[in-house]
Amino acid sequence: MKKLRISNKRIDDDLLMKKRREELDKWPTGREVDFDEAVAYQKSLPDSKIWWKVMVKLREEGRMSVFPRAGTPILENMIELCQSLRDSGVVLIPVTTDSYTRLGQYEKIEEILKECYKTGKPLLNGFPIINYGVKKTRKLIESVDAAFSPRGAGGEIAIASGMTTAEAGIGFLGFGSYSKKMTIRELVERSQNGMRTIGWYADRGVILCKDLHGWLPSAPFPLSVNIVCLIIEAVTAAEQGQKALYPLVHCMGNMAQDMAWIRLAPRIIREYLDKFGYKDCMIIGTCPAQTPLFPVAMDLGGAFAYLTYVSMVGALSKANAVDLRSIDEGAGVPTRETHKVSYRAAKWIFDIVREQKINFEMKDVAVEEKVTEIEVRAILDKILDLGDGDIVDGTIKAVESGVLDSPWSPNVNVKDKVLGVRDARGACRYLEFGNLPLPKQVKEFHRRKVAEREKLEGRKADYHTAVRDLWSLSKGKIVGIPPYNQ
Amino acid sequence: MKRVPTVITGTVGMDAHVIGTKVLSRALRDAGFKVIELGMQVTPEEFISVAQETRADAILMSSLYGMAELDLKGFNEKRMEAGLGDVLLYIGGNLVIGRSDNQEVEKKFKALGFDRVYPPETDTEVGIADLKKDLKVRGKM
Repeated sequence: MKKLRISNKRIDDDLLMKKRREELDKWPTGREVDFDEAVAYQKSLPDSKIWWKVMVKLREEGRMSVFPRAGTPILENMIELCQSLRDSGVVLIPVTTDSYTRLGQYEKIEEILKECYKTGKPLLNGFPIINYGVKKTRKLIESVDAAFSPRGAGGEIAIASGMTTAEAGIGFLGFGSYSKKMTIRELVERSQNGMRTIGWYADRGVILCKDLHGWLPSAPFPLSVNIVCLIIEAVTAAEQGQKALYPLVHCMGNMAQDMAWIRLAPRIIREYLDKFGYKDCMIIGTCPAQTPLFPVAMDLGGAFAYLTYVSMVGALSKANAVDLRSIDEGAGVPTRETHKVSYRAAKWIFDIVREQKINFEMKDVAVEEKVTEIEVRAILDKILDLGDGDIVDGTIKAVESGVLDSPWSPNVNVKDKVLGVRDARGACRYLEFGNLPLPKQVKEFHRRKVAEREKLEGRKADYHTAVRDLWSLSKGKIVGIPPYNQ
Repeated sequence: MKRVPTVITGTVGMDAHVIGTKVLSRALRDAGFKVIELGMQVTPEEFISVAQETRADAILMSSLYGMAELDLKGFNEKRMEAGLGDVLLYIGGNLVIGRSDNQEVEKKFKALGFDRVYPPETDTEVGIADLKKDLKVRGKM
């Protein structure tokens, strides 16, 4: 076997410090960050604010928390919102940033923020961490007894403010789901050779945790490509000095598949971290997540059912956190009340089902786990082959050649030659394999499953089938035949 | 020869939710339109300049993240200045933040200059049928 490696030019500390300062200089609040003081502040935080410790404690106690999404622009309202999440049993609290913060448009935000305070209305779709700066954001963190995670942006202002998750390594989310023109080489350049701030903090005894997203399967599509990307994200983050991480597992609505993927992801990530020599990097849990199209705002019943479905899958899989959206996800930005009622519902399931610690084996889960594992290994083998043992080099070549590919990407540099549809039992299958290097017998398995649906519906599966399946969870109908009431 | 109308699609502002506009673009092509597919995160200015360059008959915008109203501030004035007053303007998606009444949203965006305003989950066939009707009325199809 070829020697496994990760091409990564770690920048020296002087350059790192210069780059960190440059990033902070983009807006005046950056001056509030004193690196040594930030380390001291992080070290002074109680365990209940340290994300990885909260996750480990939940796992050890056999309990779980919702990991929601929440962000509103007016500080006082944000504090109230987070306190009400805490009151609903949430100990993992997000600080979702607005879309403009994610794009660095701080001047524009400053104006809108003034307007927010003048009118009392939330005119941004999140909390602008950078514009608020360290002092004001610390006020938020110190007001609520929970661990905080910046979502989408936040940089070192978030860390200095006492949030305890941060990004390192290659992140497919920005490339595959939120970028229009980024190339895979640019992604690698940006995430591999640039900042290693997380390692800098780890060297000083501050462990910042990271959730792995992989390449989002925005539509019904088998999770193998995503899990391969989780592995790439994990080993490249570990190389940058990340010591604690956990995968989000994107639930697609077929229970056997969802539970199989929740079992497989942490196991196979651990295996590859060890293979690459990062035995000191912890996997602190698993977090099932909602990813496909959410029911529309008016379908309250559907929205409730969707979030309780994922809560149930998480509880049965003994996860320690579940990444959930509120029933208002389809409406845009949720209110405090809808957050509360949503996570109360999830907590009910955690307290009733999770605590039963049910042990059962399901044949369907084992089959899906095996199939996905074969696919993940086949794609990874090919990547390592393309990179001659180098996972980063291999990843670049794999994306460029479609060996790594995902459907419906906004990015023009993605091959987008693959497509997924559901089978007769709602499981996600490949309709188009593109250049994914899957073994022949696995391809046959998918074709056979798609054929079962074709028989059920009496027509060939095609692009239009894939489009209809985009709505399968939002419209509450996973199998291709029409509902009974029609 | 039958005239092939040109239409522009894309998500407006900073919205990355691209699947809807991708599905719509293909459906429009299948229905015989010439589609200039701009994809995600298209600025209002880009919609205007592309409409000028391509002499487009309609602009079909998507937005799912609730900030379309902010993104489209002053858009109608700018397109009038650009001489694009007769270009049909459609928009669809989650157009405001929070739970909302479709009729009020429609009123709000019609006041911003849009000819048709669609709620989430609208089938592409509905929009395309409206488009054909509106273009015929204007003698462009």
